Amino acid sequence: MTLSKLSLRNARRQAGDYLIYFVTVVLSAALIHAFNGLVFSEELSALSSFMESLPAFIIMVSILVICVMGWLIHYVTTFMLSRRSRELGTYILIGLENSQVARLFFLENLIVGGAALALGLVLGGMIFQVLRAIILSLFHAPYTFSLALSPMAVMLTFVYFTVIYLLVLRKSRKSIRTMNIHDLIYYEKKNEEEAVKKSRSRRKLFTAAILSGITGTPLLLTGNMPLILLGTICAVFFLYGFFLSFSSGVPAWFEKRPGKKYASHALLIFRGLSAKLTTMGLTMATVSLLFTVTIISEGTGMLFGTLFQSRVEGSTCFDIFIGTEASDLDGNASEDDAAHSTAAADSFQTSAGTSADDTSASPGSTSLPAADTFLRRIENPETCIESAAPEFMPYLEYIGSEIPLRASMQYNIYQGENRQVTDYIDQNSEYYSYYSYDPLMAYSDYAALRQMLGYSDAPLEPGHYIIHCMAYLGNLMENYNQDISVSGNRLSPGSVYTEHFSQKLWDGNGRAFILVVPDEHLASRPVSHKIYGAMTNVPLTQAQDDRLQEIHENQMGGSAGLTHFTTGYCTLMTKTSLTREYAAVSACTIFPLYYLALILTMAAATILTVQQLSESIRYRQQFTLLGKLGMDRLEMAQALRKQLAIYYCLPALPPLLISIPFLWAMGHTFEPGTINGPGQLTGILGTALGLFFLIYFVYILMAYSSLKKTVLTE
Amino acid sequence: MLQVKSIEKYYGNKNNVTKALDRISFDVEEGEFIAIMGASGSGKTTLLNCISTIDTVSAGHILLNGEDIAELPPTELARFRREKLGFVFQDFNLLDTLTLEENIGLALTINHTTPHTVRDKVQDVAMRLRIDDILNKFPWQVSGGQKQRAACARAMVAGQSLILADEPTGALDSKASKNLLEIMSKMNRDCHATILMVTHDAYSASYATRVLFLKDGRLFNELIRGNRTRSIFYHEILDVLGLLGGDISDVI
Repeated sequence: MTLSKLSLRNARRQAGDYLIYFVTVVLSAALIHAFNGLVFSEELSALSSFMESLPAFIIMVSILVICVMGWLIHYVTTFMLSRRSRELGTYILIGLENSQVARLFFLENLIVGGAALALGLVLGGMIFQVLRAIILSLFHAPYTFSLALSPMAVMLTFVYFTVIYLLVLRKSRKSIRTMNIHDLIYYEKKNEEEAVKKSRSRRKLFTAAILSGITGTPLLLTGNMPLILLGTICAVFFLYGFFLSFSSGVPAWFEKRPGKKYASHALLIFRGLSAKLTTMGLTMATVSLLFTVTIISEGTGMLFGTLFQSRVEGSTCFDIFIGTEASDLDGNASEDDAAHSTAAADSFQTSAGTSADDTSASPGSTSLPAADTFLRRIENPETCIESAAPEFMPYLEYIGSEIPLRASMQYNIYQGENRQVTDYIDQNSEYYSYYSYDPLMAYSDYAALRQMLGYSDAPLEPGHYIIHCMAYLGNLMENYNQDISVSGNRLSPGSVYTEHFSQKLWDGNGRAFILVVPDEHLASRPVSHKIYGAMTNVPLTQAQDDRLQEIHENQMGGSAGLTHFTTGYCTLMTKTSLTREYAAVSACTIFPLYYLALILTMAAATILTVQQLSESIRYRQQFTLLGKLGMDRLEMAQALRKQLAIYYCLPALPPLLISIPFLWAMGHTFEPGTINGPGQLTGILGTALGLFFLIYFVYILMAYSSLKKTVLTE
Repeated sequence: MLQVKSIEKYYGNKNNVTKALDRISFDVEEGEFIAIMGASGSGKTTLLNCISTIDTVSAGHILLNGEDIAELPPTELARFRREKLGFVFQDFNLLDTLTLEENIGLALTINHTTPHTVRDKVQDVAMRLRIDDILNKFPWQVSGGQKQRAACARAMVAGQSLILADEPTGALDSKASKNLLEIMSKMNRDCHATILMVTHDAYSASYATRVLFLKDGRLFNELIRGNRTRSIFYHEILDVLGLLGGDISDVI
């Protein structure tokens, strides 16, 4: 038989023995390839200017992924070498040269790697289509199936794998070439001897690691960056210290409690595990670290997703929103200003049977209809551009001529007399206050806005005021029972509403909350800022949105920068641009984070599983002996399950202790209102953990069924 | 105590049957130390495996204290093995990951002994087998003889009434073998342990009170030591072994 035939036969056998590893390499190659497809996709990068940074993010994550994959392939190759050293030693014993054996090993690994890569490329092409479809749907762009994948992506995946395999195999080839027969035949034994080495320093390390874990975790919750960094260092030390010293720490614990050691299956389980951990303490710690990064990546991805969504929902309830801070003139609150601003607003509406002139002096006017019967009618702006605020004119001219609107409105936000409600929220909740007064809104505006947004009617009882706030403040505001004073009138708290109402930013409908008061009390109140809101018949097209942004930039003197973070004179936000930004930022952050998480989980779970399955012969011997000694089959299956459960839980539990507080702290660093209470945060964490454990569980199940089949044979 | 009645054991299928045991019958009294001898392939280990319920007989009965072990259901068999039988194997069969103390204690754990009494029981049997000073060592840290003594300790720590030893001295040097055999004799004499030992070594067999010889799956001969010295008994065994090498007609 030629050497190449032997390589091929060994490769086939190896693929069978290490099926789980092979599947992981195929899946990883597929994912790497699919994401490389995203890097080179011109179609996707043309979707938005933000998408141009997607390749950079993916390549950054890919570098980490390649390192982890390199580690996995190196680990399993070295592991296979140790398991097969006796066989390789025998080849040399019967007359093969070291270099021939090295070539044999090199060739068979190359065959396995090549097959994995080829399958990965095919599967990756399909995964790419799924990713492409998801991204296109985020942008509401049409998806058409096409098998085309950039040759550059294929090339990049090929380069990644070639580099990994050549580096890994060169190392093992070198080690085989320098080994003698004795080394190869007794390679396995060398590992065994280290299995139960004990030392006092290991016990010290164990104590130090536990202390470090206890100290480090609360530091992650502080929200203070240097302390979080210190906490992270403590956490990493905890992981490595714990796993490196576990095998001596636990026996020491059992030594003091012989009763526990001999109870049930404890003896078998703890000794089996501690022996395994001594040889693979470093690996376990690394696996644990990878799991920590995985859970944090998944959790961060979900938190970011929530953040982006909350920003879109919380920033604009309108299809088009333009806000402008009141000029000094407005701030002086002369009767004229109030009349002017209201006139501009009122020019969009006429209540049934009421002329525009009647309502032009509405706030404070005695001729005004009762608040609860007052309803403004909202119209298209083209008929009333002349009376719009001058700041809005350039936009309205374009909107009036090009964009069919369902409804639109221009209205004012007024300054309250004091900041008693702002102070109340500031003291009782997370809140970034912006105004030095409580923002107020006229009830007629509010009722019309609710109608425009499709919300239910909100009646206002005479002598009361309505609170409209963000959902996270809902409960707090329900408990607010203080009267407010507006223009010398005392108003009592009325209903609280929490629908989306553009309250996220400074020039929206208040900062997280607004007080809605009868129109007549606002006659003498100064204007805080003016708002124009419109709902379109159909979503804005990209061209319309671009044109609006262009007008906005001209309006702002060409230095608008980010559309909705401008603190200057005017703010323009459109649902289309926000959604597209959200889609782009999601694609650039959440996708790479999930990609990373997926690969890390698979790589780490594979290493644990390969280790476990390689022990099946030893387990079989152990359980055969136990059977001879009279252990019940049911008990043996139970012991095996317990052993597996602890083995797989061990590297997964410390990451939970670190990542849950970390993600919890991170959830609280977002702007107030992003996460609606601990319930939502728990849900996000639960989903992130669920995702992780789902993949992990698949590996555990594969290991268990395989072990059960080989170990507990009749 | 143990009655083996006309047991037969066949391997293979219809076309190719190998008869491993052929109508073997014998009784074992309580406190006896019996050696089973024979050449490779004579059926020694098969016989031991059948008695130990690891293997099943094709025909015949094995009664332990009047109970037919062939009729016990699997769970009862497991209980029977852990409560009544102790095993000593040629290759020790100690678990590498456990210390000697834990290896011995394992038999008690499987027997659901109260965890707090395990250590005392192990200590007690280890003292008798003179391995109490190495209980904290792992199997790879001690000699073959010490490993086998630990295996003996495991075989008797739970108060098992029948100890089955399969070539216990097979992997030991002569000094360690002698030491182990003396210990087994002591166990037999002082603790009234009933021992059934498979061996192909005449020297080992000379420590027994009775030797059964197997040839081609059949009981070929039986030697009882009686009041003879071990040295005389040893030579008698060698004589039978000499005959065993020849044709069956030479003996009859």
